[in-house]
Amino acid sequence: MKRVIALVAVLAMVLVACGGGGGQATTAAPDTTAGPATTPAAEEPATTAETEGDGEAEAPSGDPIVIGSTLALTGPLAPTAAIHKVAGDLFVERLNAGGGLLGRPVEWRVLDDESVADQAAALYERLITEDQVDLIMGPYGTGAIAAAIQVAERYGYVYPQHTGSLTYAFGYECHFPSWPTGRYPNQTNPSLVYDALESTGNPPETIAFVINQFPGSMFVAYGNPDTGDPNDATGAKQIAEERGYEVVLDVQYPLDISDWGPIAAQVRDADPDFVYLGALGVDGPNLIAALDALNYRPAGMFMQWPAPGPVLGAGESAEGVLSVTAFESHPPFTDDPENAEIADAFREAATAAGIPYPEMETQASASWAAWQTLVQGVEGAGSLDHEQICDYLRNNTVRTIFGEYQYGTEENNYYGDLSYVKQVQDGDWWVVYPEEKAAPDRTLEYSPDN
Amino acid sequence: MSLWAQSIVSGLLSGGLYAMMSLGMSLSWGVLKIINLAHFSFILFSGYITYQLAFSYGWDPFLAIVVCVPVFALAGMALQWVFDKLRISEFESLLLTFGLFIIFESVTSAIWTADFRRMDTVQNPYQSQSVWLGDLALPVPQLAAFLVALVIALGTRYLMDRTDFGRAVRALSQDRDIARAFGIDPHRVAMQLAGLAAGFAAIAGVFVAMSRALFPGLAVEWFGIVFSVVILGGLGSTLGTLIAAAIVGVVGGIATVIGGPPLAPLAIFLVLIATLLFRPQGIMGRSAT
Amino acid sequence: MKKPRPWLAPAATLVIAVAMWFYPDLVDAAGWPIFYLLFAYTVFFWTAQASSWNLFTGFSGYFSFGQGAFYGVGVYTVGVMVVKRGWPLLPTFLVGGILAAALGLSIGLVVFRLRRLRGEIFALMTLAVAFVLGAVARISSTIDGGQGIPLSSVPTPEALGTHPQMIFRLGLITAVLAVVVAQVVQHSRLGWGLFSIRDDEDVAETLGVPTFRFKMIALGLTGFLAGLSGAVHALQVSYVTIEEVFNIRVPLMVILMSILGGTRHWMGPVLGALVVHTMSDRLNRAGLEAVSDIIVGALLILMIVAMKEGLYLRMRQRPLITAIGAAVGVAGGFVLGPLDSAVTHLGYTLLGAVLGAMIPVGSRRQRPERGAPAAQAIEEVVGG
Repeated sequence: MKRVIALVAVLAMVLVACGGGGGQATTAAPDTTAGPATTPAAEEPATTAETEGDGEAEAPSGDPIVIGSTLALTGPLAPTAAIHKVAGDLFVERLNAGGGLLGRPVEWRVLDDESVADQAAALYERLITEDQVDLIMGPYGTGAIAAAIQVAERYGYVYPQHTGSLTYAFGYECHFPSWPTGRYPNQTNPSLVYDALESTGNPPETIAFVINQFPGSMFVAYGNPDTGDPNDATGAKQIAEERGYEVVLDVQYPLDISDWGPIAAQVRDADPDFVYLGALGVDGPNLIAALDALNYRPAGMFMQWPAPGPVLGAGESAEGVLSVTAFESHPPFTDDPENAEIADAFREAATAAGIPYPEMETQASASWAAWQTLVQGVEGAGSLDHEQICDYLRNNTVRTIFGEYQYGTEENNYYGDLSYVKQVQDGDWWVVYPEEKAAPDRTLEYSPDN
Repeated sequence: MSLWAQSIVSGLLSGGLYAMMSLGMSLSWGVLKIINLAHFSFILFSGYITYQLAFSYGWDPFLAIVVCVPVFALAGMALQWVFDKLRISEFESLLLTFGLFIIFESVTSAIWTADFRRMDTVQNPYQSQSVWLGDLALPVPQLAAFLVALVIALGTRYLMDRTDFGRAVRALSQDRDIARAFGIDPHRVAMQLAGLAAGFAAIAGVFVAMSRALFPGLAVEWFGIVFSVVILGGLGSTLGTLIAAAIVGVVGGIATVIGGPPLAPLAIFLVLIATLLFRPQGIMGRSAT
Repeated sequence: MKKPRPWLAPAATLVIAVAMWFYPDLVDAAGWPIFYLLFAYTVFFWTAQASSWNLFTGFSGYFSFGQGAFYGVGVYTVGVMVVKRGWPLLPTFLVGGILAAALGLSIGLVVFRLRRLRGEIFALMTLAVAFVLGAVARISSTIDGGQGIPLSSVPTPEALGTHPQMIFRLGLITAVLAVVVAQVVQHSRLGWGLFSIRDDEDVAETLGVPTFRFKMIALGLTGFLAGLSGAVHALQVSYVTIEEVFNIRVPLMVILMSILGGTRHWMGPVLGALVVHTMSDRLNRAGLEAVSDIIVGALLILMIVAMKEGLYLRMRQRPLITAIGAAVGVAGGFVLGPLDSAVTHLGYTLLGAVLGAMIPVGSRRQRPERGAPAAQAIEEVVGG
């Protein structure tokens, strides 16, 4: 009997779930007669907004514009994707509060791609051809971004994305990467870091490379000779050698490495002036803890794309650690009152969502810039027509949280490298280089002689 | 030279954590014939509880053992009660607990978000501390996990060999009906053993939280290592599990020094395959069990 | 006793396959969402993978976690040979299958020689092989070296249509091949031999079943079909990385699908793939990311508890209530929400049928006892 009750309960649960899905799906596909790629903003939103005489002029009205995307809500990429979820939710909420898009409300439909690329491809196919969403936003994670770009290209959808670091792999002309590293992060990113070190007048003589075998971090560290573009062929290691640093250690580790002890022992053995850690997620604090356990601390350490909070959690041992960023929630980045307000709003939203390190930094700001790009494209084109949006974005400057810039049509639409060097000082991250972007009274602290 | 010694020691000690994670799995699979994927969920969940106690109440992470062990022992017993009621087979248990595993991952994500959770150095001072043996550093979390695993492996071995409970368990693992004929209540013994296994998972979770960052998808990463250790050690043999885990850790450490970290899994699994070819019952497994 | 007609199922499968070949044209003409093709492809992919797994494991009882290795060999064969070496696409698919078959045979050659091989040893061996392959790919920069392989620039044969049409047709071919092979094997001496190995290998040996040879043939076929399907799937992955290929997802999914559908009949994995993929796709579409995993997990547990013999046999035992369930599902779909999509429709139908088949009607006496008697009951159904 108990079993029957359980069955009925699940039956009800599942039916409700599917029913909810069906219902939501209908609202999401308001226009099932014409393919969205060719829909020339048939609803004429401007008139709809005007005809609404009384009431608040700003309140969006009409059918919602549906923006579809996937994120890695579960699986190994989920920790960082969670930040993009908060940023997207907040952006859409503010967009609607500020009058929506073309006078219409906006609905963000985000699905779970489970950190799997082929899943992302299938989901974008569904969002575009079955759900017929009006616009799309890119997913998180290199594999998913690369898989979804093919779908977007097939249907001529404008494809803004926030974190695609394999800059050579994305040739689609209507793909707009907000990731602020430029087309050749393998050149510009390490050069920036080395310039910063040399600005102290006391650059490292020896350097150790410890690199996560993730396509993006491998590309920045070593380049990729197979792309046919000579600028892609070298990376941080070769540039270090050109600058006369002696490479005393070069190890790579898999994403799911479980034992940091032997790597730490190798670093201690090599005793470099500087450690270049091609880190993702929590690699940084993991290595720091393992080095601490050996009572060893290198004079300086750089981390490529660390989750910022856990690095600070390493306390005193993390002091002096370097990384790159394009936005931090301190001056001069927050000199612009709008950016300051966004950073505050994000902190509030991320705290409410339970994100342990709720500050706006590289990940969240890249997400934000991608959304800003999409909105400006639509508003600039004055329609939801993808060709027009694409044209507009290729030929006009956009203004995002990173400032004003133009997508570089010659360089897979990447624009300049807007990375700056940040450092952990007094238990928090501060931009320290170059000088004009440095936080007030903060300068790079590095001295290999200590 | 110190590089080699340090790497071997470091590998050996991480073997302690592998052993801690695998001991309960080995008992459950070897004796109860339950391939319990929820075991991984227990480890992760216990890790999160440890984190939360340290984060919210400033508890010393070691103290979390006091809370986690009874909680998860009870959960393990409850689960075994259900398994017994349903009379599921070995492979059905794999699927059923996979369902639980999925549910646990969602629940974890709902409570703690998908973002990384890691105790900072104030909440968990041990992560950067070591005991020094001459030139050799023994990191405290790994060392503690190793020692606890050693005590548990030996203790369980004693329990199995010398006590009535152990005799009952052994009878159970051979033949349920005969066990019943000798007046052993198989359900009761099974529940006690499942509670023990889940308690081991809880301890492993505490050490996991002490030595690394948590996120809901983390548990999948343990499948390969834990299954290898369990089978290499011989199903149901706690001492074998400990030795197997030490071998896996040391082989991984040496391979990392020789060929870099990517060589470690290759070396571990090749050793595993080779061992199984020559000793299919595992290191300490008895061919009957 | 009915007369066995072993040619019937393969013939019917081929007829259906020929008809489905033109489905992309129908989708095109009717203006249906192109996603339907991709949805069907994904079902084909899992059908091929699950059928291939079941061919060896379901029939012989040797539990394999090695599906990820066979699948990965197929994916990486296309990645390395086509992208890096410029091989033509279609022949490389076959090479992927052959390499995976060779892998299967070499595993078998080593493992089946062991005296007193136990099931879990075999299971772990196959799991270890997948991890070893992943580690090799990570170390060797000729294969991957950690950079991943972008497949977006691969030229595809134009005769097969647009990308969705092409992937649909390639998926159809591999799925049909896998299913037909499973059908033929099930009704052949090989299948009978494998079933007898599953029941008791020692007895099978004394009955004169060439156990070693049969196991090798079956494992080779499994490898070939999984590798072929993986090679085709490379086109859908578009960016190949080690973490996504050599992980535990593919083996767990095929195990889940096959066991839900039932492992003793070729139809089990097909049904399992269809039901599991349809359900998870619709739940995902409903945007219930927080609950959908919980529902999937709960359904899985429920099915294991309430339906040990697998969905297919259960449905065959009680066609009437299954049909009623399906009808209720369709009707429920209409009541609960407007049906905007054929896939949602399918989802309700399958859900109704599954739940119908699950409802424990009839007296308890008729239900087979658990354990060995259940196996006998299944045997009666299958054999009858």
